[in-house]
Amino acid sequence: MIEFFIDGVPCTAETGQTVIQAALSAGVRIPSFCWHPNLSVPGNCRICMVEVEAEGGAWFDIACNMPVTKGMRVLTDSGKVRELRKDTMQFITLNHPVDCGICNKSGECLLQDHHYAYNGQPSLSRDSKTHATKFYPLSDRIMLDNERCIMCSRCVRFTDEVSKSRALGVINRGDHSLIRPNEEVDFNDDPYSDNIIDICPVGALLSRQLLDHARVWYLKATPSVCPGCERGCSINIWHRKSEWKLNALDPQLNTSIDRVTPLENPAVNGPWTCNKARDLSRIFERPRALQSKVKSAPADLAAAINAATALIDASSRAVALVSSWGSNEELAAFHSTLGGSFTSFVKADHVPVPGERIEDDVLIKADKNPNRFAALAMFSALPDDAASAFPADTDLVLVWGEGAPWSAIPSSARVILLTSYDQPENVRADVLIPISVQTERNGHYTNFQGTITAFEQCFPKHAPIADAASLFEVLYSSTSRVAGTK
Amino acid sequence: MSNRITTGGQKLFMTFDITPTSHSLAEYKARGGYSALRKALTEMKPEQVTKEVLASGLLGHGGAAFLAGRKWGVVKLNDGQPHYLCMNADEGEPGTFKDRWFLENTPHLLLESMLIGSYALQGRHSFIYIRGEFDLAYRRMADALEEAYAAGLFGENILGTDFACDLVIYRGAGSYVCGEASAMLTSLEGKKGYPRNRPPRLTVAGLYQKPTVVNNVETLANVPYIVTHGAEGFRKVGTAESPGTQVISVSGHINTPGVYELEYGYPFADFLANECGGMLNGSELKCVVPGGISTKVLTKDDIMPLRMDHHSFVAAGSQLGSQGMIVVAEGTCMVRLLQVMLRFYHHESCGQCTPCREGMGWLERISNRLVAGQGRPEDIDRLYQISRANDGTTICGLGDAAGYATVGILDKYRNEFDYFIEHKKSMFGGRLEVAGIGDNARLVDAAVA
Repeated sequence: MIEFFIDGVPCTAETGQTVIQAALSAGVRIPSFCWHPNLSVPGNCRICMVEVEAEGGAWFDIACNMPVTKGMRVLTDSGKVRELRKDTMQFITLNHPVDCGICNKSGECLLQDHHYAYNGQPSLSRDSKTHATKFYPLSDRIMLDNERCIMCSRCVRFTDEVSKSRALGVINRGDHSLIRPNEEVDFNDDPYSDNIIDICPVGALLSRQLLDHARVWYLKATPSVCPGCERGCSINIWHRKSEWKLNALDPQLNTSIDRVTPLENPAVNGPWTCNKARDLSRIFERPRALQSKVKSAPADLAAAINAATALIDASSRAVALVSSWGSNEELAAFHSTLGGSFTSFVKADHVPVPGERIEDDVLIKADKNPNRFAALAMFSALPDDAASAFPADTDLVLVWGEGAPWSAIPSSARVILLTSYDQPENVRADVLIPISVQTERNGHYTNFQGTITAFEQCFPKHAPIADAASLFEVLYSSTSRVAGTK
Repeated sequence: MSNRITTGGQKLFMTFDITPTSHSLAEYKARGGYSALRKALTEMKPEQVTKEVLASGLLGHGGAAFLAGRKWGVVKLNDGQPHYLCMNADEGEPGTFKDRWFLENTPHLLLESMLIGSYALQGRHSFIYIRGEFDLAYRRMADALEEAYAAGLFGENILGTDFACDLVIYRGAGSYVCGEASAMLTSLEGKKGYPRNRPPRLTVAGLYQKPTVVNNVETLANVPYIVTHGAEGFRKVGTAESPGTQVISVSGHINTPGVYELEYGYPFADFLANECGGMLNGSELKCVVPGGISTKVLTKDDIMPLRMDHHSFVAAGSQLGSQGMIVVAEGTCMVRLLQVMLRFYHHESCGQCTPCREGMGWLERISNRLVAGQGRPEDIDRLYQISRANDGTTICGLGDAAGYATVGILDKYRNEFDYFIEHKKSMFGGRLEVAGIGDNARLVDAAVA
């Protein structure tokens, strides 16, 4: 521990910490653009300049590259520091178009924040700004506005140090410098590319999903967990605030995912997540199964539950295929209710799709289901030879979720299907009960490390669909067969 | 190029006639070449060499005039990691072309210096980073290195000792900023030539993150003399604070521009009258840019009484810098001179850190507007402000240097800027040439008329 002073207040720093890190631990936020806690220190934006009082006279240097030394007296808000920040903000906004009115980053832009905090005056320049490429397509997912770019190099360092695709670099010199993709690397192949949009301190890197789609102040971030693989990255799901409901446009827009960003969780995903998480709408917004059915004929939810109860009552050998997308609560509910009546196996609801990165040493894990860890703690895994899970006299199969080995299920067995999605296999179900998806309920997942993370409800449930947990309770209480009496 | 007989005191380097073969190994050896290397390898320990260089008071000739021996002394010998010595031959400061003289005419002196330096720093691999535009210089160095390898002066068991050293000559790609030591190392590593933040110092983590010493060509060229004659012998030349000689490249409105070796402490007035051959066409001296354009300009009154050593120039508010002098005659438009300088800084700013990346362009745009007769009174304040905001705030010295150049000219010639803004034309017809000399000057005269 090193003792030093920030603005006269005694603080401590750990050996090797820089002033900006130690100040942050002490609750003092020194402004920065290029510095990012999870990336190397380039020291190029110069906004974190601080004053150090010393006997031979004060000196100035950047806080992000300044190791804390014993007894150091750092001033983060002296007159000279404020003046330097003002100068730096003048430089940073010199060739920046300041087109906040039409910029997607507006409202969550570090440049806006720092401008109001440290500059607050119009540009002193009377000369025209330099011009550069607008809307340069970096990849199928990302647009680059070179005029808004302040050359902080966070995106370049991210691709060098975190995703290791080395897909980005800087060409040209001086105020003609441009971020450009590596000609030998296809940035589309970087499954972490969208993180550069989040870490861009200005509106230079734009998500083509969100571009001109929504202003961020109309959106609400709901903490959630990405179900894309067993990593279970903590994420924010951004969706329209209820008070800003769209009435004139498609009402579906009120209950759709506008974007997904990582939610910093050092134990699981740090501040990053992969592009699959960004595309959760592609999973959750597939055509939904919203109509309960008995023998493929529409029936109301109560009738379908009754039909399912009757099937459970009538069965003598029942097998359940448990969803690895069920939350801890749902799995526990199944285990304590119907679990005794069924021989239960955990299936993999999702397997890698063609072209998807299977596994790497950054975040992506091979198991593409969020909660197999918790499910396997209660039930055994579906054997590789799925047919062996179904004895010849199996007369009932409860399929919970997707990915069931339909060809292995004996044709003589009746099927109760609990699903969220409208898929061709659904016709195989004798009773189909639609259930909610992750964004429509609260719950927890346990990831491969055993870390439990919560997700929260983003949207109201489509009536009339069931939540799996309460459905299990209802089925259990209405069936005459209870655990142990079989 | 041949040496002119000059009066600038004792010479360490310009002691021989330049002939078509004077750069060869045979002639260098005939002049006593590589005897210092033999002395160092056989009679001295590495730390003794460093001690001798420190005791000699040898100052860096790249611009900052830092004690060379102190830089060497930071590198810890026998610390189990590789050390690198890199010769900075990326001479790009406008007005400076003295290292080129060494590279073209005494390549073996530089190779010998590299060997002694590598020995002192325990460097197994050493590098010469040579400016990309230097063609003859590169070929001379490459040929000399080939000769030296053939003669067993590089590789294993040099001169029968167990000292081993290999040398790589690396050509730059035309970036001014790569003459800054850390940018040079980044470029040498194959990356974009961006300067690095300190800490860490290069002598702690330089090339490939290993302790590295980067020295200017002329600085290293002094080392064989120091080894041969000892620190005491070296200190007999020059002044107490600035021992040795300096090789000055001088250009501008003088009769005999060129490269001259002068003992430190030589009076500027004598230099101008003798070596420089006096002012061009009998024009009057207006000012001198003393050490490359990154040093503050000195007016006639400032510089005429000065002796040419570091102490005197710093006391006069400037520096000897990289020893590239530009002599400016009366009748030259300082607004245009500043514009030309700022165009250079804008073009060469690497674009890494904010104040310089944006400030250099801003400075140039203002100076362009001034020269176009569209200046406003507040532009002067803006030039000062941008210069001040670049002072000490950038990663390397380029931003500071542009600020010094700007402030230096503004401080001394503010009246010319005010005149230009008020009358929307230059006080001197926008001339950079001496009136009446050359086609260009006639064109300028015609344009002004």
